[in-house]
Amino acid sequence: MPQILELNAVSRAYGSRLALDDVSLALEPGELAFLVGPSGAGKSTLLKLINREIRPTSGEVWVDGMAAHTMKASRVSELRRRVGVVFQDFKLLPRLTAKENVAFGLQVGDLRVSDDEAAERALDALDAVGLGDRGDSFPHQLSGGQQQRVALARAVVAQPSLLIADEPTGNLDVETSWEMMDLFADIAASGTAVLIATHNVEIVRRLQRRVITLVQGRLVRDQPAGLTGRMAWLASS
Amino acid sequence: MVGVILKGRFPRRRLFQVVVTNVFRYLFRGAARNWLRNLGSAAPALSSMTLLLLLSGVVGLIGFALHNLEQVESAQASLLHVYMRDDAKAADVNALWDRLTSDGRVASVSYTTRAEALARAKHLPGLPQLAEATDSNPFPASLDVRVKNINDVAAVDQAVRYDIAVDPVYPTSYDRGAYQRIQAVLFGAAVAGFAFLVLLGFVAVTVTMNSIRAAIHSRRDEVTIMQLVGAPRWMVRGPFVIEGAITGALSGAVAGLITFGLAVAGISAGSASFAQFAPGVTITVAAAAAAIVFATGLGLGSGSSLVSVRRHLES
Repeated sequence: MPQILELNAVSRAYGSRLALDDVSLALEPGELAFLVGPSGAGKSTLLKLINREIRPTSGEVWVDGMAAHTMKASRVSELRRRVGVVFQDFKLLPRLTAKENVAFGLQVGDLRVSDDEAAERALDALDAVGLGDRGDSFPHQLSGGQQQRVALARAVVAQPSLLIADEPTGNLDVETSWEMMDLFADIAASGTAVLIATHNVEIVRRLQRRVITLVQGRLVRDQPAGLTGRMAWLASS
Repeated sequence: MVGVILKGRFPRRRLFQVVVTNVFRYLFRGAARNWLRNLGSAAPALSSMTLLLLLSGVVGLIGFALHNLEQVESAQASLLHVYMRDDAKAADVNALWDRLTSDGRVASVSYTTRAEALARAKHLPGLPQLAEATDSNPFPASLDVRVKNINDVAAVDQAVRYDIAVDPVYPTSYDRGAYQRIQAVLFGAAVAGFAFLVLLGFVAVTVTMNSIRAAIHSRRDEVTIMQLVGAPRWMVRGPFVIEGAITGALSGAVAGLITFGLAVAGISAGSASFAQFAPGVTITVAAAAAAIVFATGLGLGSGSSLVSVRRHLES
């Protein structure tokens, strides 16, 4: 099966500090994996490399067949249309409604999408994350969990091959966090690879998915789905 | 449920119209709306650029007039008037005529009678009063010598000023260094005008770049989201460049209209004297100057925005 994400011996330095050190990993379509590690372990750096916000100092980053490590700035948009992104702080536009936020993400990424189609797909995406009836609400009228769902709808509405999420439950309560995880699992089940950077021990432990552990920029453990590790760092972080 | 969204297929209709509509909405309408929203931060750029362009237009027209004036002066400097004695004999005048026409440095010679000199003086600035101040004609007859090379005027002057037919008190119109003085003044004016415009241009470009920087900062979240969802680079940068172009075009339009209005007012109010002091400045030239001012504003606004966007907006 072709890999959706492949990192080969990737290192990334910020000045003299090595944020990622010789990391290699791969993700298949439909796979859901957690990226864990203490603060400063290199999780965010790895996500930025995947989304080509930064380039590796050495090594290769392949995303859905595209070489992110050598990609010119003018072609980055092509890569990003294949990668959905969810952030801890949602990053919704406050002056747009939930439906408009999702449609905006769809249309600026693909100018061939008409207003009618964008509205229809945005509503479907919102419906899929359980917010079909809140399309006309502005972000400030929604709870944190609902805003994160809108962000998720925006991330998946363009049908990406890969979804990356940086601490998506960081601002959510326990119940809402589990609801979000159910949605991520749904998305993975539909064939999209999902990589979630998180500190949430309980979720990682109970979901029994693949867990990739980074410590001080090095990949120290790549635990297959169905197994649970000790993850001692989680207790101390 | 989510899988339905991910795998859904949607019809693509009226593709061209849809793309044009989206480009217009996100690029042009978005830029216009944001420009209006950020009018406060764009105002300094708008005013400084309007001032720059207005001064550019006026200085440009003055420069054009000075250039034409220099051409006129250059032509006049190579024309040497050799003034005849009031009692000069016709034979002496003819002999001088023959000597000049056979001189290889001379292009042409013509004779101006006292009456013709008086008539010509009535059309020159400041001389009509002198011409009408007395009943007698104060202007002498002259041989008007067109010298081929302006550098030979002094030598020709020396060759004729002591001729028996020539007025010993005021022999010729030759003024040593007059042309050079005019050229020096024009050169100084051109350098000063250019330096002034460069300084103003630097200020206008800097202010415009800063206003675009402020616009980028105020829309940081929107820009980030656009970049993350895969908006093409031109679509992220485009609205800011268009905002700069709007500022430049508006400034150019205002400055161009004022430049045109000033020139037209000068032409219609000054009539003959305006034509003498600003030769070549016509309605057509004023319209061309206004168009150039507008185009310069458009280019300056979008150019400085592009530089600002490239500097402050990471890809």
